[in-house]
Amino acid sequence: MKISFFKEKGLSSVFLIFFLILTCGAYVGIQLKIEQISHNKIPGSSIIYIPSGKYLKYAAFGYSSLLADLIYLWAIQYYSEYTIDDRFDHLDHVFSIIFELDPHYLDPYEIGALIAAYEAQKPDLSLKILDIGLEKNPEQWIFPFLAGHYAQMIKKDYKLAQEYYKKTMEIEDAPPLAKRLYASAAFKSTEYKTSWQTWLEVYQTAEDERIKKIASNHLYQVKASIDIRLIEEAIQKFKARFSRNPMELSQLVRAGFLKSLPKDFDDQDYLYDPRTGKVTPPIIPWKR
Amino acid sequence: MKIKAIAFNTFKEAIRDRILYLLLFFAATTIIFSRVLALITVGDRVKIIKDVGLASLSLFGAIMAIVMGTGLVYKEIDKKTIYSILSKPIHRYQFLLGKYLGLTLTLFIMLALMSLIFLALVFLHTYKIEWNLLLAIFLIFLELSLITSIAILFSCFSTPILSSIFSLSFYLIGHISWGLETLIQKIRPGFSKVLVQIVYILLPNLENFNIKTEVVHYLPIPSQLIFFSTLYGIFYTLFVLTIAVLIFRKRNFI
Amino acid sequence: MAEALKIENLYKSFKTGFIPKRKEILKGISLSVEEGEIFGYLGPNGAGKTTTLKCILGLIFPDEGKIEIFGLPYLSLKAKEKIGFLPENPYFYEYLTATEFLSFFGDVFLIKKKEKEEKIRELLHLVGLESWANMALRKFSRGMLQRIGLAQALFNDPSLVLLDEPLGGLDPLGRKEIRDVIVRLKREGKTVLLSSHILQDIEMICDRVAILVDGRIINQGSLHDLISEKILFTEMTISGVDAKDLEGLGEHFSYHGEKILLKVFEEEQIEKILVIVQKKKGRIHSIIPRTETLEDLFVGVVKQDED
Repeated sequence: MKISFFKEKGLSSVFLIFFLILTCGAYVGIQLKIEQISHNKIPGSSIIYIPSGKYLKYAAFGYSSLLADLIYLWAIQYYSEYTIDDRFDHLDHVFSIIFELDPHYLDPYEIGALIAAYEAQKPDLSLKILDIGLEKNPEQWIFPFLAGHYAQMIKKDYKLAQEYYKKTMEIEDAPPLAKRLYASAAFKSTEYKTSWQTWLEVYQTAEDERIKKIASNHLYQVKASIDIRLIEEAIQKFKARFSRNPMELSQLVRAGFLKSLPKDFDDQDYLYDPRTGKVTPPIIPWKR
Repeated sequence: MKIKAIAFNTFKEAIRDRILYLLLFFAATTIIFSRVLALITVGDRVKIIKDVGLASLSLFGAIMAIVMGTGLVYKEIDKKTIYSILSKPIHRYQFLLGKYLGLTLTLFIMLALMSLIFLALVFLHTYKIEWNLLLAIFLIFLELSLITSIAILFSCFSTPILSSIFSLSFYLIGHISWGLETLIQKIRPGFSKVLVQIVYILLPNLENFNIKTEVVHYLPIPSQLIFFSTLYGIFYTLFVLTIAVLIFRKRNFI
Repeated sequence: MAEALKIENLYKSFKTGFIPKRKEILKGISLSVEEGEIFGYLGPNGAGKTTTLKCILGLIFPDEGKIEIFGLPYLSLKAKEKIGFLPENPYFYEYLTATEFLSFFGDVFLIKKKEKEEKIRELLHLVGLESWANMALRKFSRGMLQRIGLAQALFNDPSLVLLDEPLGGLDPLGRKEIRDVIVRLKREGKTVLLSSHILQDIEMICDRVAILVDGRIINQGSLHDLISEKILFTEMTISGVDAKDLEGLGEHFSYHGEKILLKVFEEEQIEKILVIVQKKKGRIHSIIPRTETLEDLFVGVVKQDED
């Protein structure tokens, strides 16, 4: 004989289960409604207050790379939250925490540098991040490579860019492009000699026609710059002596200000405008 | 009311537990320590105090809720005080609800104490009362009530250690579920996406109670959010308590 | 006479162990307790006495069977209002004082303040704890806890009082006091069911008993019916006589100084011994006939079940 209490309990059990489903439905519905309300969903800004330092790794009890992942994921979300005006104040700190926890996680260096350079408008921080990246991962040519870019594009510091490209070249597996960028940067920072030598190397070791053409164009450009500078220096001396610009470039040689008249890379004459005293190459390098 | 009798009895027992005061001490220390942190930071000092303060309230409150809640029902069963009560003309659900309300009352008092220290510190720095902080604390209280109900649920059938682990997991999952949302966007539409979405919706989203960032950065707080978050808290708590009642009723007290 | 408690065919088993194995605790219990009597529920450890009580109280849910309290379904609140329960080895909220503790139960019974205070005073007096009304329970001795437990069980003036090992751990004075309270309850018209090991006390106060062995009720009935009044043997203490002289007349001789204690089974042997003592000018210190006690019955029944 089964106990009757099961039947008595049955009714209230049914009621309870019904209530259970009701409340579940209610909170699910409300959650969906909440999602629609746009609000700042990126919590955890207290992460800023985690002290960094070499002891952080130990405090993470062996889960440091997981922690690095989580913080990095959080950081990406956080830094895209445009409503928080002062979110870049601790950019340096947040990323240094990530680097402490997992120095060999490469993405954060790149993205951190990107955010610093373009969003936070802090190119120096960007370079600093990439420096740390290279320091901890010396085989990663991408870091000085990107640093060179940032130095060139944003800071317009060609000398710095040149240094970075040099570092890139020194790393095994670096793409040949790095060398060309190095040469370009050298040119832009007016180290013509270095630029010329490098472009020459590129020209001589070029494996396909396209690279050879590019190299030769650059060689043209460098030579042109060197030559034009030389010629214009001579023109200045001429002007100082005779108080006027020479009528032709050959006059500079006859007057002894130039040993010989340089021709361009294709052995053509340079163009000269006696009114302005300006020398220009006969052809635009890229149109050769 | 019978529930009231149990609630007050529970409250009297809970409020005498020394662990609460130890945690209160730690919370107070952390809040005051934020003052020190503020000194070495460049920029808005009050921001740190508010940030750390609110985080402390949430964290220590949760620890209190879990520590107390998981021991509550278990202790009665273990020490057999529950026999005297359940043999009286009282429904089991009345006993459970009484325990829950008693514990919530205790937490309310503890939260109020911690908040007092926190708000006093903030006031010393800003010389004005910020209602948004009170709103944030209110939401933290809702969160704690929910965590309490979870702790009590586990305490109905599990030992304090296991219950604490489960409750803590609940707390952590509740705060990380936003990560799941990001993941959802990356999955290609299909069965697995729907499955993950269902799991995401059912899991507790404790971040609904977190308006720290808005409060600290003076961002606008949509009133709809407060309203719905409150409802969310209430319904989820009822949901959990209903499960607890269902389990508790069928329990054999050997 | 109405039945205060009726149990029919109660079965309860538990799943125990890591690989759940079904262990049967109660294997079809039936008993009934008449209103106004003191009922003793006996059995060796592990027989299932406490389990039975917990089933009655709704702390455990039986697999099968029917339980009624004063004709009401046993789980209903109305039925619970008529019951008072004292658990074994009671432990109560340590931090409360005796008064606060009883007050709590008063609230559970929804008794109003004035009436409640009156009741508390009454109960404390009944169990002899008035002087400790404001002492925290954590300072109570075992006996005192037992007594406050009894007070709590009687708070609502229950018609049926269930006591689980109420006399355990008490000194003889304590046991007497509790016994007196129980007898007084009967005089007030209440029904008492108590489970116990201490057979002497049961024998003293119970009207009827049931003996539970290994989940089954082996024997049930009034003490009068169960225990015969036959004299089992007579204990005689004599001195001044040599044991040699008594040979064949008694058994289980033991010596205490000059005195000899022996058990005599036949009535004629008693007379013969008396004659010998007189002849030898010895002394008879005592002659005590022993009838069957509950203990004898109990041990006999348990042993039988083992075989």
